[in-house]
Amino acid sequence: MYYRRTLTEAQINQQLLGTVLTTPLWWIVLFSILGIVVAGTVGVVGWMFNQGLGVTGLRQPVFWGFFITNFIFWVGISHAGVMISAILRLSQAEWRRPMVRAAETMTVFALMASLTMPLVHAGRPWRIFYWVFPYDWARGIWPDVRSPLVWDPIAITTYLTSSILFVYTALIPDLAIIRDRSTGWRKSVYGVLALGWHGNPRQWKIQGFAGILLSALILPVFVSVHSIVSWDFSVSLVPSWHVTIFAPYFVIGAVLSGVSAVVTLMIVMRKLYKLENFIWEEHIDALARLLIVVAMAWMFLFWLDLVFALWLKEEQEITVWNLRMFEPPWSWLFFIFFMFSYVIPVSLWMFRSVRRSFTWMLWTSLLVNVGMFLERFLIIVPALMRKGPQTFTYATYRPSPVEFIIIFGTIALVCFLLLVFSKFFPLIPLWEEKEGQLLMDEVKVGNVYVPAMVKEH
Amino acid sequence: MATQTKPQSATDRSEAFKWSMVIDLDRCTGCEACVVACQSENNVPINEESAFIEGRAIQWIRVERYWEGEWPDIKARFIPVLCQHCENAPCEPVCPVYATYHNTEGLNVQVYNRCVGTRYCGNNCPYHARSFNYWEPVWPEDLRNQLNPDVTVRSRGVMEKCSMCVQRIRRSTRSKTPNDVPDGSFDPACVQACPTSAMTFGNLNNPDSKVSKLQDDERKYHVFEHLGTAPTVMYLKQVDTHGA
Amino acid sequence: MGLTRRQFLKWAGVTSVGAVVFNGCRVPDHEIQIQSPVELPEDLVTGRDNYYATVAQVGSGSEGLLVRVMEGRAKKVEGNPDYPLNTGKHHIRAEAMLQATYHPDRIKSPMVRIAKGGPFRAIGWPEALERLTKILSNADSASVLLASGPTRGKLADVTKRFATGYGAQMLGFDPIDQAVLRASIKNIYGQNALPDFDIARADFIMSFGADFLGTWIDPTHFMRGYGEFRQGEGRERGHLVHIDSRYSVTAAAADEWKYITPGSEGLLALSMAHTIISEGIGDRAAALALTGGNLNHLSNYAVSKVASQIGMSAEGIQDLARKFAGTRGRALAIGGGSAGAHTNGVFNLTAIYALNYLVGSVNVPGGVIFNPPGSQSRIDGAPLRDWKAALAAMRSGEIKVLLLRDANIVHGLSAELKVTEALDDLETIVSFSSFLDETTSRADLILPGHTPLEEWGTDVPDVGPGYRTVAFQQPVINRFRDTMAFGDVLIQIAGELGNSMPWNSMRDAVRADARDLHATNRGSVTQPTFEEFWKRSLERGGWWDQGDTVSGVPTPPVLPRTPVQAQLAGDSSVFPLHLVPFESHSIGTGQYAHLPWAQAVPDPITTVAWSTWVEVNPKTAEGLKLKQDDVVTLESASGGFISVPVYVNPATPPDVVSVPIGQGHEQFTTYAAGRGSNILDILAQNEDSDTGSLAWAGTRVRMTKTNTRVGLPKLEGIQEPRQLPGEPVIVVFKPGEADHGSH
Ligand SMILES: Nc1nc2c(c(=O)[nH]1)N[C@H]1C(S)=C(S)[C@@H](COP(=O)(O)OP(=O)(O)OC[C@H]3O[C@@H](n4cnc5c(=O)[nH]c(N)nc54)[C@H](O)[C@@H]3O)O[C@H]1N2
Ligand code: SF4
Ligand code: SF4
Ligand code: SF4
Ligand code: SF4
Repeated sequence: MYYRRTLTEAQINQQLLGTVLTTPLWWIVLFSILGIVVAGTVGVVGWMFNQGLGVTGLRQPVFWGFFITNFIFWVGISHAGVMISAILRLSQAEWRRPMVRAAETMTVFALMASLTMPLVHAGRPWRIFYWVFPYDWARGIWPDVRSPLVWDPIAITTYLTSSILFVYTALIPDLAIIRDRSTGWRKSVYGVLALGWHGNPRQWKIQGFAGILLSALILPVFVSVHSIVSWDFSVSLVPSWHVTIFAPYFVIGAVLSGVSAVVTLMIVMRKLYKLENFIWEEHIDALARLLIVVAMAWMFLFWLDLVFALWLKEEQEITVWNLRMFEPPWSWLFFIFFMFSYVIPVSLWMFRSVRRSFTWMLWTSLLVNVGMFLERFLIIVPALMRKGPQTFTYATYRPSPVEFIIIFGTIALVCFLLLVFSKFFPLIPLWEEKEGQLLMDEVKVGNVYVPAMVKEH
Repeated sequence: MATQTKPQSATDRSEAFKWSMVIDLDRCTGCEACVVACQSENNVPINEESAFIEGRAIQWIRVERYWEGEWPDIKARFIPVLCQHCENAPCEPVCPVYATYHNTEGLNVQVYNRCVGTRYCGNNCPYHARSFNYWEPVWPEDLRNQLNPDVTVRSRGVMEKCSMCVQRIRRSTRSKTPNDVPDGSFDPACVQACPTSAMTFGNLNNPDSKVSKLQDDERKYHVFEHLGTAPTVMYLKQVDTHGA
Repeated sequence: MGLTRRQFLKWAGVTSVGAVVFNGCRVPDHEIQIQSPVELPEDLVTGRDNYYATVAQVGSGSEGLLVRVMEGRAKKVEGNPDYPLNTGKHHIRAEAMLQATYHPDRIKSPMVRIAKGGPFRAIGWPEALERLTKILSNADSASVLLASGPTRGKLADVTKRFATGYGAQMLGFDPIDQAVLRASIKNIYGQNALPDFDIARADFIMSFGADFLGTWIDPTHFMRGYGEFRQGEGRERGHLVHIDSRYSVTAAAADEWKYITPGSEGLLALSMAHTIISEGIGDRAAALALTGGNLNHLSNYAVSKVASQIGMSAEGIQDLARKFAGTRGRALAIGGGSAGAHTNGVFNLTAIYALNYLVGSVNVPGGVIFNPPGSQSRIDGAPLRDWKAALAAMRSGEIKVLLLRDANIVHGLSAELKVTEALDDLETIVSFSSFLDETTSRADLILPGHTPLEEWGTDVPDVGPGYRTVAFQQPVINRFRDTMAFGDVLIQIAGELGNSMPWNSMRDAVRADARDLHATNRGSVTQPTFEEFWKRSLERGGWWDQGDTVSGVPTPPVLPRTPVQAQLAGDSSVFPLHLVPFESHSIGTGQYAHLPWAQAVPDPITTVAWSTWVEVNPKTAEGLKLKQDDVVTLESASGGFISVPVYVNPATPPDVVSVPIGQGHEQFTTYAAGRGSNILDILAQNEDSDTGSLAWAGTRVRMTKTNTRVGLPKLEGIQEPRQLPGEPVIVVFKPGEADHGSH
């Protein structure tokens, strides 16, 4: 049972729409900084397109590096939205309410960020459409459906489309509220976006049904997306990539990093938008407990992968694991990854006081994602460095400044998009909060409190 | 001079030709004549010093050198490695755009104008046979005069690799039947240059060709047989007389 | 929920049907057939190609070439399958030579420099020739020195005639000359031409210091034989023993590689000879001749006396001697390279080549085969002794005018000799080179020459194939730049100086030679009319006569009774390491350093390209706390030093360091300038006591670590390539072991 803070509808409207209807100074500052970083990154990417991929640290035979790491990383982050919204919605977890919108939005933006990566990483990005879209026009041939690189765009664009729909469906009632509270051109824009929402019972019913339906539909997509991304690796002949465990391992890892990112986002949001009334210790406590479970499941699969490799006694597989785990600097990265994404956070989360501390949770959730970035990096790079028995070609890879800039640029991009989004739409769904408030109202019957309202479904 | 021949049907050619190469490691001295011949024939970009430092040198065929033992009982062994033209080529199915695929004459071909540069094929080639153009190749104006007009000059962002000198194959076999193409009537540039005649090229579908006969050689092997890639390029083991 | 599942199944169905359709049907070949522009439907390849036969001197070797020419541009250099030496194959240098023609930094027209040290000004050929005539007619002809790179055939003839006619001194220049080898061959076999080594038919080869598969004399020709020696049809696999201080490709190819004390190769050979003679296992007549009738003559070389000096066990020497003398079939001894590059060079090589007498391998198949002496001249690199004298003459003013043709003496002679100062003392320097190398850039007048693909000439190979051979060099393309063939310049100038030659041009001169060959009415091309003969022999790349051979086995001279020791320069306590420089397989001694392909092809042993490095044994490196890529200074007793990065080479002997020759150019195009260092600069200027040749393998050095590190440009990866036992890339075959699986 949560500690209740009862808010009136007017309070909810005022507090959650504050950011939309007013523009604080910090917002402008942050907007400018992030905007400059994003614009700078776009410039760097343009420069790289002009120069060629030589400006990266890639070399034979390490054909994939930071960009693909980043691609997987953001696809992973995108798993938060559906995890929080769809699963928690379907399971009717009450504590989801303040997080759903932010999580879903982050999904959309993270997916957008991830989608830029294959483009940025391709040798000839100006020809990317030959690959992403069927392009039979003059070439007499369609993309090769055997290639996981064809599965990827299909999976991700499906996921992106459904996530956008998901966000939008949940946004409609709030759009109507803003429409009702704004004037001039804003009123007409929100009016169009609100699709004539008036909040009548039929509309609520359809909206509620659509939400549930989308939740159910998106779940298989959610599982498939990271499975498919993992098949980019499993399908190959590269030792330590060629493993069947990758799909579930990637999906669970994605949930871990995605939910951690939600924690980070909630805490930052709470601070910036002064949402203390909506985001409580209980919420992050609940997320932390979810994270413990996810992290353990993920760690189990991680060891399973390792055990498979050792069990088979395949020389090449062991060479790669050996490099990853025991040869500096990879062993250092491995250590950091292992400490950051598992040992430190999970052991800290065991303590209730940590779970309920916004500061602790902010830092531990950030650690997880630093670790998860390294995890993807360690999956990709050492395997390519020791790809086969041709020791003659063994090479190393060190990301170049350009790659670092682009990685930080994508982080800035996602933050920037969230910031802009928050300017136009409430980050916490007003209607969900109100519904929550209603469900929370209790009446005292004798010695016990019972809900004042019973859910219909 | 445009003599345009009607494309023969796919089956025609696949029954006619299956190109193969056999490399005798006991003859090879590691001289690298094959390497430069290939650079020249196939417009392979000049590998500047930086290409070696960056680890991005492009060689369609490279001579790998492995050490064995310690001084004074030491031995260097050489092997020229080129695309093995795997019949079961791992590089092919991962390419989203059919830029690399198997043609009907048993060759793994690379079509530069289709390639978008995902480099997945490079990851999936167990022989490290593929090179990526990280930079736009530099051809000083004058040196362009020597470029082979039969071979596309690649741009940056494109994957490249040994084509078994497909331009020579095409020129020499266009509108010909196998009987018109006697064994040894033409060779890829590397085979042609190799001073020790370590390399042999020919048509496996011709039972009388040298490569066909070498199939039965007791020294024959494929590199990384266990991967099941079924290379069309074969090697003859190096004879080691150590202690003999 | 039902909807979801249905939808899912539907889509799954569509997708898998799609997948099957795509997978199941083969992609029709013609749809993606553009594997080469050869087959573009628009037929974008315009023009016809044509192949022209010519010849080029590649290093010391002679390679018959077929050049593919399209639209007036040379596209590809291939070996001429008819030419007896390389039979269709070619060296990387031959291929790379194509880039000399189209080199971006090639001198584009004649140039003159009005003031010393001032800028060059482009001029036309009439003015250039006029200036040259004026210089030569004003000069005292005895004060003119004509320096030429090693040249053979008609051009050598024309050059010599010019020098003689005009009265100039003439010197050949080659940083690593073959005077020791020639002197030894002369000593022991009485031959003026180098013999051929019949590797293809030998059963057992012992090579002393001669990297004949890499850089020595004519590696392409020797590799032709080597392939057969290994796996030729209808013969047993040959056995190769290589004795050298550097682990070269020949060492790697050898069945046995042995490192002995540098400079003691002659001792080893004589010790083997002593063993063979005393055990009576060799040719008795030869033994008697070599010992002057006293079979005890060589007792100073008894294994017990010399084993420790050689650095080999007595049994080891005996074993080699016995194997050589017959247990393995036809034996052949080859010597050269570092074995001849000591103060006792001629002693060493003479001893080595004497071994062939003991096993009856002189002028027989599978042995040393004599070449008929060429009817034409040759300009060989003159020994160091002569060059020292020439430099002194420049300083003293005896030589005032220097004419240079492909003789980069600033780079090729040691800095210790202060060549640049000597050049500064000259009145005029005229260069005929196509590139601004260090010496040419000091010239006052440059009359750039053609590249080998643009000019007329002949080549009488040396090493030849064992019979008389004349190759024809013809222009396969028109001149690409405003250049003129050196030979044509000489012929024209000679006329103006009043001692005209019998021909109007090099083409004329070549035709005159062809007339003589036509007149013999034998050999590879015989035609009734001369014009037919001319056409046919140009098409074939030359003329050769397998019937014109040298017969007979000469009587060998008596071998020296007392050993001649090599004098190494530098006290071993101060300079503990023996420096063994070696020629680069691609850029030679530096003459090919301007060609990007030659620069970019990795050294086979170290896989390093584009630079200079020093090869150090891992233990030695460890002792000096050196790692790969650490820069060290190498210092010799001469006081010179160079800085080079370390390549830790597991095959380098512990007390030896090896450095490639060829880099360290200050000029010579953007591809060569400022790259690596010139090891020739720190070599002690000791001479072979007989010929006066540079004893280039006789310097000791001290190696000191610096604080700098560089990234060596090399092809191999980050770790020393060793094969993984379970999954070898190179599978070896042990004779006798039945092995049918791959591993
Ligand atoms: N004659 C005959 N043939 C059969 C069958 C039969 O009954 N009779 N059975 C068939 C059946 S039912 C099956 S399932 C197949 C099985 O055949 P395969 O699918 O070949 O099964 P495995 O050999 O178990 O695994 C293949 C390889 O996958 C890699 N690998 C897979 N998963 C992982 C992982 O998670 N981590 C790591 N590190 N590596 C992994 C390993 O490299 C392993 O060697 O055989 C079939 N073939
Ligand atoms: S060797 Fe590599 S590039 Fe060539 S066919 Fe095989 S997998 Fe493809
Ligand atoms: S790099 Fe080119 S050939 Fe290779 S997979 Fe990508 S698109 Fe295909
Ligand atoms: S076959 Fe042709 S393309 Fe392939 S390595 Fe040889 S020369 Fe190069
Ligand atoms: S040219 Fe022949 S001998 Fe030389 S490295 Fe290549 S395969 Fe070996």
